[in-house]
Amino acid sequence: MTDDTTGKDGETPATPLEPFPVHRPESPFPPLYESLPPPPEDPPSDWIETADAHDLPTRDNALTALGRFAFPPAPPLDDEGVAARDRRWTSRTILMTAAFLMVFNAVSPLNWARQQPPGWIPGTVEQLSEVWVAQLAVFGVDMPRQGLREMWMAARQARFIGQAPEPTTP
Amino acid sequence: MLFPTLAFGVFFLFVYFTAWSLDRENGRRKLFLLLASWFFYAQWDWRFVGLLILSAVLNWGVGALIARQPGARKAWLVGLGVAVNLLILGFFKYYGFFIEQAGELLMRFGWERDLPLLQVVLPVGISFFTFQGISYVVDVHRGKTPPAKSLLDVMLLMSFFPHLVAGPIVRASDLLPQFDRTPRLTREMATHGLLLIVWGLFKKTVIASEISVNLVDPVFFDPSAYGAVDIAAAVYGYAVQIYCDFSAYSDMAIGIAALLGYSFPRNFDQPYRASSMQSFWRRWHISLSSWLRDYLYVPLGGGRKGLVSSCINVFITMVLGGLWHGAAWTFLAWGALHGGVQVIERLGRAAFGDRKVIPTVVGVLVTFHIVCLGWILFRAESFDMAMAMLQGLGRIGPVVMLTPLLLMLIVGGLAMHWLPPRAIEGVAERLKTAPSITLGLLIGAAFLLIEAVRPEGVAPFIYFQF
Repeated sequence: MTDDTTGKDGETPATPLEPFPVHRPESPFPPLYESLPPPPEDPPSDWIETADAHDLPTRDNALTALGRFAFPPAPPLDDEGVAARDRRWTSRTILMTAAFLMVFNAVSPLNWARQQPPGWIPGTVEQLSEVWVAQLAVFGVDMPRQGLREMWMAARQARFIGQAPEPTTP
Repeated sequence: MLFPTLAFGVFFLFVYFTAWSLDRENGRRKLFLLLASWFFYAQWDWRFVGLLILSAVLNWGVGALIARQPGARKAWLVGLGVAVNLLILGFFKYYGFFIEQAGELLMRFGWERDLPLLQVVLPVGISFFTFQGISYVVDVHRGKTPPAKSLLDVMLLMSFFPHLVAGPIVRASDLLPQFDRTPRLTREMATHGLLLIVWGLFKKTVIASEISVNLVDPVFFDPSAYGAVDIAAAVYGYAVQIYCDFSAYSDMAIGIAALLGYSFPRNFDQPYRASSMQSFWRRWHISLSSWLRDYLYVPLGGGRKGLVSSCINVFITMVLGGLWHGAAWTFLAWGALHGGVQVIERLGRAAFGDRKVIPTVVGVLVTFHIVCLGWILFRAESFDMAMAMLQGLGRIGPVVMLTPLLLMLIVGGLAMHWLPPRAIEGVAERLKTAPSITLGLLIGAAFLLIEAVRPEGVAPFIYFQF
């Protein structure tokens, strides 16, 4: 099997090139929005010219109708609006993750500060973290992390049957 | 500044919110990302930011000249551009190696000389950004990508911090069009990006670090102290470690870029599932293997001149690919092993055609073990150490280093190759409809789990040295 197909210019092959990837690695993400296929067309209209809209039956109860009259739904978002909404959603997700970790993994900044050379920033972070960790420990929020760590350390210490235990360092 | 650190987390939060606050002015956004990338790179050594700038200016200048010149001069200019990039790479990465080898050679002939030895510090990621520079110049010459609209674009292309120090090698044709306008972030991209970051963090800080610290490093340091089981475990462990380490970096880089609105190509595709070496190189470090294909194998002649020529070309390509990884004979031998096996496969296909001679399961096992043999060369600091590892595979002794947890991590690291190929995309597709609070809590819980079990401290990624 050879890979001697050549492109139109006669210089660069159009295909293969064993043993390397045949295709350029595709992106794991969807195509950029400007290259997306056009949206599907709307279904055929069911508008009845002769009918009066007020005569058509409706399933909404009076309260719903009143609510819709009082608070009419917002017009559909354009592309910019959808993009801004997705960005806000992502930002909220990231902030929620950061807040969660600030509470349940508060010891992490403390560990970081203790590993740094002495200085104003590590010193300040260490002092603030110590207070924060102590305050949170009152509510027991450090227990999930601590419990997980103890389980992991126990798994690390485990040995096969008949295997010598891990040598302890003096 | 490593990805799995608190410092990087704080840096990324700042970059993320600032970059998206500049979304109405794409030029300023790119300038901010460039400055942030330089700051990121300066955390290793600020002096090399100058090298990064110089390299970008040179490639931009050559690209612009190529676009303005008639045919004959273009070839000369592209040669100049490639040569300058290789000169930068050669000086920083191979100067010491070649001087040392030249000194030994002269000594053998009795012409001992004091050669100018310099302690050249290797700038982190130099192999990646010089290869990007070469691909930019050559692609402009070939007409595959138009020259960048501004120097800022080329600088950001080469310096963009997610891929700067360990790839993937993102080409101009992938990234420059994305720089033309403010990117758009979709829920799908964001969810996928977040999941890739979590998955990469898990692979690096839990699997790779645990195996590295408690098994691979001690055994490779002194193979003579261990029996066959420990040595075999260390070899398999290194196969899992290097995959989890490098693919983790790629995953995190792709995820971080996605949160900033940019799309990077995939770099790994379950490589240990490969049933041949050819297939392995279509799944491992795809951005490098496709780079070697387009800018080395094809210019050498590819497979256009028959079987013998294609075998020679693939062998040369793989040996030089080995040398790209580091200035040492062990890397050359690693490349030669991969090249040699591919030559054998190629001859086999020429003899038997496309008939399936070996069952897939056997092919996967054989390929995996050849790859593991290569990893011994790749990891060992010398041939003596590699030989000591191979000899140790026949030594009977007690099991000292391998523990149930390490065995579970090795098996798990291999088993993940048999997950559905696009599992993370599938999960992202389901989670993208979740409320931000739910997803935030889920991601936070995953981070907490990883933080609780990871070893103290983070070792640098293996591919930083390349």
